[in-house]
Amino acid sequence: MKTKLLLVVLAVIALVVLAGEVTIWSWRTQDAEVWKQVEAELRKAGHDIKINFMAFAPTEYDAKVNLSLQTNTGPDIVYSRRITPGGTYPLIDNGLYLSIDDVVDFSNFPQEVLKFVTYNGKKYGVPFAVQVVGIFYNKEYYNKFKLKEPETWDELVENAKVLKKNGITPFFIPGKEAWALAMQHAMCGVSVLGPEWIKKLTNGETNFLDPKFTDLNKKLNDLKVYYQDGFLANSTVDQDAAFAFGQAGMVFYGIWGYQTWRQLNPDIQVGYFMVPPATKGEKPYAYVYMDGAITLTSNVKNRKDAVEVLKFCATPQFGTIFANITKNIPAVSGANLPKDPLFEEIVDVYANHASPYIYWVGSVFVTKKPDLYNDVLSPGMQELYAGKITPEELSKKAQDAISQWYPPLMKK
Amino acid sequence: MKIKLKYILAFVLPAMFLYTIFVIYPLFDSLRLSFYSWRGVGPKIFVGLRNYKDMFTGGFSKEVFNAFSHNIYFFALVSTLELGLGFLIALLLASKIKGTKIFRTVVYLPNMIPLVMVGFMWSLFLHPQIGLVNQFLKVIGLGTLARPWLGDPNLALTTIIMVNVWRNLGFYVLVILASILNISPDLIEAAYIDGATNWKISWKIIFPLTVPTFRTLLILLFIGSFNVFDMIYALAGVQAGPFRSTDVLGTVFYRTAFGGLGSAYTDMGLGAAVTVFIFMIVMPMSILYVYLVERSDRR
Repeated sequence: MKTKLLLVVLAVIALVVLAGEVTIWSWRTQDAEVWKQVEAELRKAGHDIKINFMAFAPTEYDAKVNLSLQTNTGPDIVYSRRITPGGTYPLIDNGLYLSIDDVVDFSNFPQEVLKFVTYNGKKYGVPFAVQVVGIFYNKEYYNKFKLKEPETWDELVENAKVLKKNGITPFFIPGKEAWALAMQHAMCGVSVLGPEWIKKLTNGETNFLDPKFTDLNKKLNDLKVYYQDGFLANSTVDQDAAFAFGQAGMVFYGIWGYQTWRQLNPDIQVGYFMVPPATKGEKPYAYVYMDGAITLTSNVKNRKDAVEVLKFCATPQFGTIFANITKNIPAVSGANLPKDPLFEEIVDVYANHASPYIYWVGSVFVTKKPDLYNDVLSPGMQELYAGKITPEELSKKAQDAISQWYPPLMKK
Repeated sequence: MKIKLKYILAFVLPAMFLYTIFVIYPLFDSLRLSFYSWRGVGPKIFVGLRNYKDMFTGGFSKEVFNAFSHNIYFFALVSTLELGLGFLIALLLASKIKGTKIFRTVVYLPNMIPLVMVGFMWSLFLHPQIGLVNQFLKVIGLGTLARPWLGDPNLALTTIIMVNVWRNLGFYVLVILASILNISPDLIEAAYIDGATNWKISWKIIFPLTVPTFRTLLILLFIGSFNVFDMIYALAGVQAGPFRSTDVLGTVFYRTAFGGLGSAYTDMGLGAAVTVFIFMIVMPMSILYVYLVERSDRR
């Protein structure tokens, strides 16, 4: 009896050890549970695959991937960024990311998402999420103080005034993280400036010195009296805790924060609205972008199983797992999305209110150096909020930087 | 007794081998890389002196010189505080007050805390809303002095330097204390007999006799200040915010070579040029340090 039991235990151990291991690297720590469930589903379907998921700090992730893939010490699969000339092109050109058109069925993806993973007509990765950013608010406070979702910028300021008067910090801003301020500017831009204005900017019919752009800088600068004290020293971790536990009424953020807020405080009631436009009658828009893709690398040691994982990532079943765990919108269509009013609203915004023209992530203005995101808005917004530069100077910085390399804005 | 060459080589070669692999090779490879443009993948493109030109005259120069000025400020403040306070505390401990041994341990304690822990601990202490520092100021009625210490561009670097002083002061106290205790007690006793005051003994006898130690420590502080990275990284991150107000050459190098979110310039070659620049600053001081140590050994 003992011998039999020992044999069974040994057999189980052997099965686990011998299972095809697929290593996946990511910058998203929150996805660990997703891969556990994917592994379980693949096993159910008869694939003896063990997924080894590892997450790294976002600020160090790209360098780690680049270096390890070149020294053949990288994983089978990586989370890759959107395809851009400076970022992803060299990895593809040097054969470190592999195209997967022949092995993965992309019929469940809309074309506008696939364009972010397509290079020279080939697809380099399975898109995993679409992000929607905007203003998230604490519903309890909105109900308590009889506030309604603002339809204009002035109404937003009025709401902030009411919250402040009642002892609630209206906005929690993670000012220490410059990227979050650039994102705040960009999400306000799609509504306050409007897609038509951004289209004109992209075509060179206007430029960053346009008073409308400076007026947006001014609006944001004026709003800082409604931010928490010392906001330039706060991180997104501080923001998550403060918002989840009701220390602030609103945050300028993305839907990816929802999972953390609910984990910290399962009772929190979160609402969402797009940044309101400057005047009544104008339509609000949301900033929507593809977050990244799951990509096969040249370092793949277990190609057969890695391909199985990628095939699964392109199915609505993966989208269902991904959305239910992370509360992010899956890039794949046809998934069963969580029955959550906020999530349903966000999905509707993604489908019907995404701004067709943008100037932050995914736009032409971040494709060359100096770019609008890293070189202008990230440090520029911190300088503006710290009172080191004026709204006019921020506009000038933007124009000076982009006109160095973007032909439509040269000599404007 | 004359040692045979083969024995000398047997002992020296393994160390030389490791030194060559981990110090000499990376050094020369960095120098070589600084003449190339390389995004971390793909072919390295030879660009001659372009990286150096960018570093000193191009758009990148603003970032480099901003960081360089912070390194100088870091050195000035750290050396004034660590050597100044270090001398005063060492003097106190050398005067054999009650509980000297306990004080000696207490003063060295922060030095034993891992730097990552120091960073984590102090970011909590300095938190603008719930931090111990601001809460303490409020409790004692000095609430108006509460600040977002790491979020105010005028205060952030000084705040980080203060944390650095808090952590490293113990080391300097112990070294200066050893130097003070090395002074012959006869000299001090003779001065007392001649009617010298404590002040006179401190400044006319003890201080001049500890100057060689100060000189050595100053050089070590210079090298440390221009190589500083970890403390800034732990408290302000690689972006060295707000808007580069805590940036030093070490963080410029890290961002440039390894990229990451919010990096304005990313190129391994340009990053290597920054390291060569740091090396050119630190190397002469290192040579001076070795010379001074050897000279004192010879005496």
